[in-house]
Amino acid sequence: MSNLRWSYMDHWRADTPRGPVTQYASRRLMDDFVKQISVVGFEGLDMFDFQIYGLTQMFGSIEKYQEYLQDHGIAKIVNLFRGIMYDPRVSDPHVRETHDEIVESTRRMLGMWENLQIENLIVMPASLYADTAPVTGDTIKAAAECWNRVGEMSAGFGVRTTGHHEFFCAIRTQEDILRFYELTDPRYVSFFCDTAQHCIAGVDPVELYLELHDRVSGFHFKDTREVDTTGAYENRPDAELMAPQTARWFYEMGTDGGLVDFPRLMRELKGHEFSGWITVEHDKANIGGDYAESTALSMWYAKHVLAEIYS
Amino acid sequence: MTGTVRLGYAISQWKPNFDDFTRREQHVRALKVIAACGFTGVELRAGSGRWDPLGRPASIAANYGSAATFTDLLRQIGIEAVCSWYFDPGEPIGEELSHGRSVLEGGDHRAIIESVLPFAEFLAAAGGSRLVVRALPSAWQAGELTADAIATAAKGWNQVGAATSRLGVTVSLHVDCLSAAADAKTLEALLEATDPGLVGLTLDTAELTLADLDPVAVYRRHRDRVDHVHLKDTRYVDDLEERRRPHAEAAMLQAGGERGVERWFYECGTPGGLVDFPSLLGELNADAYSGWLVFESEQTPNPARSVMLNGWFAQQMRLPS
Repeated sequence: MSNLRWSYMDHWRADTPRGPVTQYASRRLMDDFVKQISVVGFEGLDMFDFQIYGLTQMFGSIEKYQEYLQDHGIAKIVNLFRGIMYDPRVSDPHVRETHDEIVESTRRMLGMWENLQIENLIVMPASLYADTAPVTGDTIKAAAECWNRVGEMSAGFGVRTTGHHEFFCAIRTQEDILRFYELTDPRYVSFFCDTAQHCIAGVDPVELYLELHDRVSGFHFKDTREVDTTGAYENRPDAELMAPQTARWFYEMGTDGGLVDFPRLMRELKGHEFSGWITVEHDKANIGGDYAESTALSMWYAKHVLAEIYS
Repeated sequence: MTGTVRLGYAISQWKPNFDDFTRREQHVRALKVIAACGFTGVELRAGSGRWDPLGRPASIAANYGSAATFTDLLRQIGIEAVCSWYFDPGEPIGEELSHGRSVLEGGDHRAIIESVLPFAEFLAAAGGSRLVVRALPSAWQAGELTADAIATAAKGWNQVGAATSRLGVTVSLHVDCLSAAADAKTLEALLEATDPGLVGLTLDTAELTLADLDPVAVYRRHRDRVDHVHLKDTRYVDDLEERRRPHAEAAMLQAGGERGVERWFYECGTPGGLVDFPSLLGELNADAYSGWLVFESEQTPNPARSVMLNGWFAQQMRLPS
């Protein structure tokens, strides 16, 4: 029996006569999307939490959408990514006065999903570095307090709250990330390892996994060809799409020139007997690339390279 | 025939223009996509010149070191075989200083045989068994074919088939929508005049449909000759008979004809698709067809997407077993 199952984090775009659109634009595009991720071997789907609105319109309910996925070989919606745009006036983890709003808005969102068996609610545990700096011990402590509360609440839904550290997130260095997990309650806050984001931030994702393996609840397996050497993480107003260093940070795993050492990571997963879902991601693949190709290439790599090490 | 059906993909779908798809890393990415979607064979398309590195055995050797190096690479990626190679004798071959030859010309037969033998040798070494050839030139060029003309073509294919059979490779006649063979009577006559032991038939579902021939009916009529299948769909029938007009390659297939059709060919199972795949697969099942089913997606705006959708279709369909 396999220890690992593969889930797909949705950032999909399809080319149409109207230009690039998401699969939420039409049922026909959704059919194509689901067939394409299923045929290459994905069994799970990760998505942003706010997609529930469009899916409910298209399918009647999120439960019916999951049934539709199951009819196409996708067993379940595995993880949700919390889509909050942080604002210190309303909701920002390092601003304690906004924690009630973060907890309550997240409670409302999880309530909409409660009939599914979501495993993780993935959150960026602090706002943009540029909007938070200077990052102090109290900044991290405030964020930890926030996510401890959210995590305790989400546990009531059977959902783990898990931290995902973008390279431009205020909690981005290895030291600060480890400090954040020291301050959070292992019962309520786990760690979601995004291989490319850490690599860009100059943090070895394998070393980070080894440090936090007992806190890990999932992965985004994606690659990058660049380490941030220009201070892109503090670029205003945005680092991910607008920093001068590169137009495209993220690539599918197995890409030429990729910096993430996936074989080593798989050996460590095997050594620590990790079992569960691994999520594949390659957001912004349409910048000089294509989601369909990146998706197939990712699963070629998973089946032909990584599965030889651990499956 | 008994045995297992195997699934292949036509890699030429990645090369819409003569100067596209030239680099090895592009080939590798395409092959990985094909393998990831469950296909274990690849069909190549004959081509000429330095910008067609997969077009000829010598070009493959020049770009990959040797045919064996290329097939080793395929197997590392998960592709077991170059299952087939498509060859149109009418296309120019710069390497042979040929502006194109015709099977309707008896004087061209020797040169066609010499031209295809390297392809057959390559296929034999790469696990393949079908040299898929354009059966006849375009209808608008060939004009009304006499019995003698068909007999000449048949004689030519018999000779080609005899030459390749010594290498374990069968010549299989492919009928595209523009071909003079895309006519029930002509196809019947051509098949009747060829040796069933040397020359087979490639059934191309969408090309036949577009030419107003029902591929299921063609299969039923010629089931004993079908030894290779191309699977693709179309939403159109050429009921304006544009395929028979001058320069149909450009005016109809490329420009879209009077209706301005953006794309004549689609993935199997496309909404509005006209090919009756359940019936055809039922027939293949009943006959225990055991050859390659090669999926195609010419004119696709996104080859990877098309492979994935065809892979899904292949997973869902009841394959002959």
